[in-house]
Amino acid sequence: MDKNSPTSGTITSKMEQRKEVVPQITDLPVSYGDTKIVLLPRDPWWCFTYWEIGEQTKQEIKNLYGENVRTILRVYDVTNVENFDGKNANKYFDIAINLQTNNWYINLPETNRSWCVDLGIITAEGKFVTVVRSNTVIMPRFGVSPLTDSQWAVLQREFERLLELSGIQMIGKGSFDIAKLMKERWEELLAISQVSGFVSSGFVSSFRQPEKQQIVAKEFYLKADTELIVYGETLPNAKLYIFNEVYNLLPDGKFSVRMNLPDGVKEIPIKAVSADESMQQQIVFTITRKSEKNSV
Amino acid sequence: MPQGYWCLVLHNHLPYVRHPEYEDFLEEDWFYEAMTETYIPLIYIMENFLKDNVDFRITMSLTPPLCNMMEDKLLQDRYYTKLSKLIELAEKETWRLHNQEPFFSTAKMYEQKFKLCMQIYEKYHRNILTAYRNLLNTGKVEIITCNGTHGFLPLMSSDRVRKAQIRIAVKDYEIKFGKPPRGIWLAECAYSYGIDKILKENGIQYFFIEAHGILYGEPRPRYGVFAPIYTPNGVAVFARDMETAHQVWSADVGYPGDPDYREFYRDVGYDLEYEYIKPYLHKDGVRRNVGIKYYRVTGKVGLDKKEPYNPKWAQQKAAIHAGNFMFNREHQIRYLRNIFDREPIVVSMYDAELFGHWWFEGPDFLNYLFRKICFDQDVFKPILPTEYLEKYPKNQVLQPSASSWGDKGYYEVWLNGSNDWIYRHLHKCEELMCAAVDTYHPQIDELKKRVLNQLARELLLAQSSDWAFIMTTGTMVEYAQKRTKEHITNFLTLYHQLKENRIDNNFLSWLEYKNNIFPHLEYTIYL
Repeated sequence: MDKNSPTSGTITSKMEQRKEVVPQITDLPVSYGDTKIVLLPRDPWWCFTYWEIGEQTKQEIKNLYGENVRTILRVYDVTNVENFDGKNANKYFDIAINLQTNNWYINLPETNRSWCVDLGIITAEGKFVTVVRSNTVIMPRFGVSPLTDSQWAVLQREFERLLELSGIQMIGKGSFDIAKLMKERWEELLAISQVSGFVSSGFVSSFRQPEKQQIVAKEFYLKADTELIVYGETLPNAKLYIFNEVYNLLPDGKFSVRMNLPDGVKEIPIKAVSADESMQQQIVFTITRKSEKNSV
Repeated sequence: MPQGYWCLVLHNHLPYVRHPEYEDFLEEDWFYEAMTETYIPLIYIMENFLKDNVDFRITMSLTPPLCNMMEDKLLQDRYYTKLSKLIELAEKETWRLHNQEPFFSTAKMYEQKFKLCMQIYEKYHRNILTAYRNLLNTGKVEIITCNGTHGFLPLMSSDRVRKAQIRIAVKDYEIKFGKPPRGIWLAECAYSYGIDKILKENGIQYFFIEAHGILYGEPRPRYGVFAPIYTPNGVAVFARDMETAHQVWSADVGYPGDPDYREFYRDVGYDLEYEYIKPYLHKDGVRRNVGIKYYRVTGKVGLDKKEPYNPKWAQQKAAIHAGNFMFNREHQIRYLRNIFDREPIVVSMYDAELFGHWWFEGPDFLNYLFRKICFDQDVFKPILPTEYLEKYPKNQVLQPSASSWGDKGYYEVWLNGSNDWIYRHLHKCEELMCAAVDTYHPQIDELKKRVLNQLARELLLAQSSDWAFIMTTGTMVEYAQKRTKEHITNFLTLYHQLKENRIDNNFLSWLEYKNNIFPHLEYTIYL
């Protein structure tokens, strides 16, 4: 990009700030000292959760259960459950996490259900203890309802025709956003323009920008993304570091970590240190993800 | 007797961008460009419909941030200066190109357009809200509101703060238009269970939703997206028709990409000699679009291969496209009428800024379209949501599905790896806002009242969905991050001053001066 690129609004930062009156924008607090977990729906298949554990709570856990505990997210299906008390869920599943992270995207096994999450610990004896419970989320519906209205009844065949007329085949295939159309045009122009003189960049003053990576096409589509699971084992009493952060081992010394894998080169250093710190071993994975999109 | 109805909804929105602390601010251009290219041209065509007795109907959402910018003295004056400069450049251009057809006709066109814009702007004494008020009173235009700062309701932490977004919107609308709003555009069409209850409590009669909001509703919708439904709380919902969305938006079959239409990306800001164009650039002297463009889309060719724009051809094409759009609606509505026991309604929803800003000929297209609909056919009529509800007050009751009109149809555009970090801070501020109101209300002195009001402004501005959206799209990200952090920092600083009883009056006054949205705001919206 040439130096005259008008790509972004950085003019503001180049301008001299009138520091005497402008309060400095500081980085936001790393934590607010709360112990809480919040669950948010992203789409019918995914939830996002973030949490925070206060120092006092951490200390209490340590005092009660010692250091050798594992942290997990216990995700409960609480569809139609009134007054959920931790025991009356329809079902649940666990996700091992470590407290170095403070958020997680949860892939749900079923659509059109309600969910709630406990951040909890598994004690050395294998007992689950809830540290904090989230709000309950009713997920956005996916698919047409099986219920018909007696007063406004519609026959199956008629309904199918109606869905087609209503454009059901286009659901979720892009927002028809202004800028998306413009972005596609811009990229096309960039690809075919010979003279770069005119071209510094597209969006000088756009209202709404399109998505970075458009993975949805017109009539036919393909969506794909990747996650990475790193797993292995060491001696149960060893200390395990991934990205220089401590990970808690399962009681048998195994570990398994799931992480997001975007485009680019990612180095994942995994290090085990023996209990007496006299020995250590390291394995470094270098993983490259490169996306190529072809359509014919 | 028409066989059905067509309802056009234009969503007019820009985030609140106003920087009195700078003389010249790049992102304010969003507002100035939209004024010249979209808002004022649309006012012009609507006023001409009235003059020429064209029986038209347009539903317009004017969001509270946009209304507040339109009414802001500083932005009004800055826009006046911007437009004056643009006219000066257009005049220079007609002189420079005086015997160089076809460029001369295009230069002349810009000069006339900009001057007309100024004429309308001055007619309303720089406040175009007056024009919208007049239009609203004709009954042909329905102006609706939107969430207070275009906040993304489903991802807020409680109904209490969702309510505040709606309450401030209703209050602001009443002040600006002299009556309560009948409908609302939910920001990003983002709906989740329970929002309808808040709307009902605030006197809102209807809102809009993405197609699958109704198609996935429970029980099954009898008329698909071609009739409104009532939510269990008794608010009417109209869903988007995908066919008309596709016709305008789609990259390959959509209208705006036609070879005869103006090319957005070939601007004199890049083409003309630097010294000549420099006075019309921002103070940093970086080449950017200035709004005068002499080339047409041409086809799939590079920017250097673009051919000159011909205003006449473009006008003809806009008329042809309007004819095509009308023909397709006639066909669609006739078909639907045959399979339904009542007249269908087809709802077309677009961002207003498409018309004029991105699709330069968009306002001309609408101009031709409504004239043709009025005079050239009798299959369907344009209609307002409230008119349709009066005709058909009895509608199916169903629970719409949570959804949005963003990419993939749910909330991912506003909740992904690029922006998920904002929610823990927004939620904390939301919690503290409610706590502060509970602590200090109602025995509160004037100073603390000002603090609570400003806390509310900072929170509302931080909640604008625009910031999360921009973070996802990857351009202008720095600005969006800055704005989010700025309002959260302001909020937390002010909150701690309040809590520790050491309110800094200078700081408070500075914030009131700088982030002045909703001058009439009262923190009691959070009660």
